[in-house]
Amino acid sequence: MRKGRYLLKRLIYIIFVFFIISILMFTIYKALPGDPVKMMMGDNVKPEVYQQQYDIIREQLGLDDPIPVQYIKWITNMLRGDFGYSTEYRRPVKDVIGVPMRNTVLLNLFSMIIVFAVAVPLGITTAVRKNSIFDKFIQVITIVGYSVPSFVIALLAIYLFAIRIPLFPISGVKTAGFEGTGMAAFLDSAKHMILPVLVMSVGGIGSITRYVRASMIDALRMDYIKTARSKGLREKVVIYVHAFRNALVPVVTVTTWWLIGLFGGSVVIESIFLWDGLGKMMITGLSQRDFAVVLAMQMFYVILSLVGNVLMDIAYTLVDPRVRLEN
Amino acid sequence: MADKNTKKKKKKSTVGMAASRMAVGGAMTEEQEEILTPVQMVYRSFLEDKVAMAGVFCFLFIFLCCVVLPFFLPIDMYYQDVTQANVAPGFGMLKVPGSLKNNAEQISLGSTFSVGIDAEGNVYEWGSFPNKKLKKLPADMGKLVQVSAGLDHVVALNEDGEVLTWGNDRMGLGSLPIELRMGERVKEVYAGYQISLALTEKGRLYNWGNSYLIDVRFPEGVQGNIEKFAANTDIVMVLTKDGRVEALSPKSTVYSAVPEEIQGRVVDLALSDESAAAVTDDGMVHIWGNNIKGTRAIPEEIQGRVTSVEGARFHFTALLDDGTVAAWGDDTFGQIRVPDVKEKISTISSGYYGNYAITESGKTYSWGLDGYLMGTDDFGRDVFRRLLKGGRMTMTVGAIAVIISTFIGVIIGGVSGYKGGKVDNLLMRLTEIVSSLPFLPFAIILSAIIGNNISETQRIIMIMVILGLLSWPGIARLVRGSVLAEREQEFVTAAKALGVKEAGIIFRHILPNVITVIIVNATLDFATCMLTESSLSFIGFGVTEPNATWGNMLNGARNATVIESYWWRWVYPAIVLAICTISINCIGDGLRDAVDPKSKER
Repeated sequence: MRKGRYLLKRLIYIIFVFFIISILMFTIYKALPGDPVKMMMGDNVKPEVYQQQYDIIREQLGLDDPIPVQYIKWITNMLRGDFGYSTEYRRPVKDVIGVPMRNTVLLNLFSMIIVFAVAVPLGITTAVRKNSIFDKFIQVITIVGYSVPSFVIALLAIYLFAIRIPLFPISGVKTAGFEGTGMAAFLDSAKHMILPVLVMSVGGIGSITRYVRASMIDALRMDYIKTARSKGLREKVVIYVHAFRNALVPVVTVTTWWLIGLFGGSVVIESIFLWDGLGKMMITGLSQRDFAVVLAMQMFYVILSLVGNVLMDIAYTLVDPRVRLEN
Repeated sequence: MADKNTKKKKKKSTVGMAASRMAVGGAMTEEQEEILTPVQMVYRSFLEDKVAMAGVFCFLFIFLCCVVLPFFLPIDMYYQDVTQANVAPGFGMLKVPGSLKNNAEQISLGSTFSVGIDAEGNVYEWGSFPNKKLKKLPADMGKLVQVSAGLDHVVALNEDGEVLTWGNDRMGLGSLPIELRMGERVKEVYAGYQISLALTEKGRLYNWGNSYLIDVRFPEGVQGNIEKFAANTDIVMVLTKDGRVEALSPKSTVYSAVPEEIQGRVVDLALSDESAAAVTDDGMVHIWGNNIKGTRAIPEEIQGRVTSVEGARFHFTALLDDGTVAAWGDDTFGQIRVPDVKEKISTISSGYYGNYAITESGKTYSWGLDGYLMGTDDFGRDVFRRLLKGGRMTMTVGAIAVIISTFIGVIIGGVSGYKGGKVDNLLMRLTEIVSSLPFLPFAIILSAIIGNNISETQRIIMIMVILGLLSWPGIARLVRGSVLAEREQEFVTAAKALGVKEAGIIFRHILPNVITVIIVNATLDFATCMLTESSLSFIGFGVTEPNATWGNMLNGARNATVIESYWWRWVYPAIVLAICTISINCIGDGLRDAVDPKSKER
């Protein structure tokens, strides 16, 4: 009951934060250079009807309303999924955003899966075999992994696996002119995805492994582990059930931060691998001054980060029943 | 005041004891006589951490290099030179082959390579070749008497007065003018920037190659009356048999403003890329043109003793009547630092950024640009020098961003932790809002919008401020946590009882106790800020060209050709950036272990 109330409180609070941020973004949107009416009209309007046309479009865009009214209209449209009109693609943003969003989510989802599949077992193993040579070795590897910027790793990966040993394509989402369905199409895009996913995973594996290791070591030192062992429980049960569950709490926090950063950071990876995702779309939008697209992207990132925060709260209550939710 | 001080000291030592007790594993032993303050404790255990110390050394090394070396290896950020583009790292551009070293007849310097002939007329080539065709020498050349190296081609003259050319043959460089093929005897040849020139014994000058770059037009009465000539990337100038200097250009340029008083008395002529120099029969040097990079700053003491002059990109060298050499102009690569030669020098040859001198016995000496430690980029800029400057920039941006974020974080965290209640709530909500802004996309957007119409310096400041403004929440949370723990301590109560103001309590009494946490986090933030700056610059939304940072140096390496063929353009910045962030993270980890002895057990 209390948990429900707490989550509701958090939800209301996050909606409040969302509105604050949306006001901030609206201000940015208003501060953008350039006249949106002119941008929309283009250059093909006859001079005689120019002013008349200009006024009509201005009216349509609602630029004559007072600023608060404009904000309310804008935010309502945004919430309805109407993100405006892309000057670059000459279509509503809503229609062009689908494929890139799918690509970005795919990219991030796969690297998330890889990071967890590698980092959690690795973190636990190194914690259990603390100070062994294996542990020292992994410690070195992980510090390198999370220190080296992703774009450096990307350049290295391209050099090694796309140029020296041409296993994978250098960039793109699918082979140019590729016509195929089902399995063939899946294999083709999987081939393109491997390098960016690997590169994105390296940093995550580095930091998550270290966090899992640290919190596992803390957990393994606790008295209840001694109790569990003295009860005669198998070591596996002790580690994976008793210790790991308790080690999860700090890991959840870090994971959420990392997740939010992952989506943001994929901007760089997408621009290197020419991955047709939201990040690349945002950068192209910025260089083409297509601000409707940029704001839609920004909205996506903000919502993602807020949802991440809510998920973190829920995850806390799930992994640790003791978490005092009032604070 | 004294009372308060002793109280503080006492407090510190108890913490120290507690900490040291923790460090030795909870057991109080007899030899625990020396009592350390927390800061000393941290310092000692930090010094024992080998990984962290290695990190400190690596980082300090890179830091000192970036701070000190640019004074010795200056670089003009706006300077570009296509002739030096994509030169592979390495030295030996001026390393004369052994068999030519004591037997040289004539040597000519090209963009990054040199050509020389010995007394028997054999030809040698050395240096870094911009074009593979340069190694394909024509067969059966006869005895060569003169060679000239250009951007990426060579023109040579044999004893029969025939012209030979090899290397790049685009833009008509491979096809000699009809008159030369018909057998007109040539006495001097020249290879320049996509242009070749030949002067015949009849005093006629012929040019071939890219005619769009240099428009050669002969004023009346000049063709057929030419004694010597000189050329640079803009113009060809000639010295006529009656000692007059003429510019072969339809337009009037800085070069065509020949001083009237020297006309008729000129014996030698040379051109740099900014100015022209002429030697008159009384041994005086006259220079006209732009005074960029000091090309017009002739040393006074040589006036009256000059016999001939040679011009290169931005410097001149002059041979004096006593067989010594003087040089003036640009000194970026040591072009004007003439070595000490015991013998009398008979010929000098300058070109691009280097010089050769041949003594009367045929010995060769060279000075100037010998190569690039880390190669050059596509604009011909020295990667190593840019790396140093870029390091300075990356570190400055990172450091100032960290200072800004730490400042904001400490104030907000301190106030919110100490005050609690509504203020705390409000400030923490603010912290939460800022931390839920997606960092990289938001920084990109801000940089694109604000950075629209501002100067480069303002842009750099903007990047620092954006990074600082977006990265304080972490440190604010930590400071708040530490302050929350500290404010219930007795010394705070004591300070309150003494009537110390709130600001004083927060910043003078509580803050020193949480300073270690702040330092550790500032160190780790420094690495993060450097990384973020690099990422931003890498995708083109951070510090932009011509200013160098490690990120934007890598920006140029975003295509397969560069990654594969011009590896030095990305490998070096990548390695330095990686080493730097790894060492800072090691330092930060070491500090954290030192501050919190419990974490060392991990």
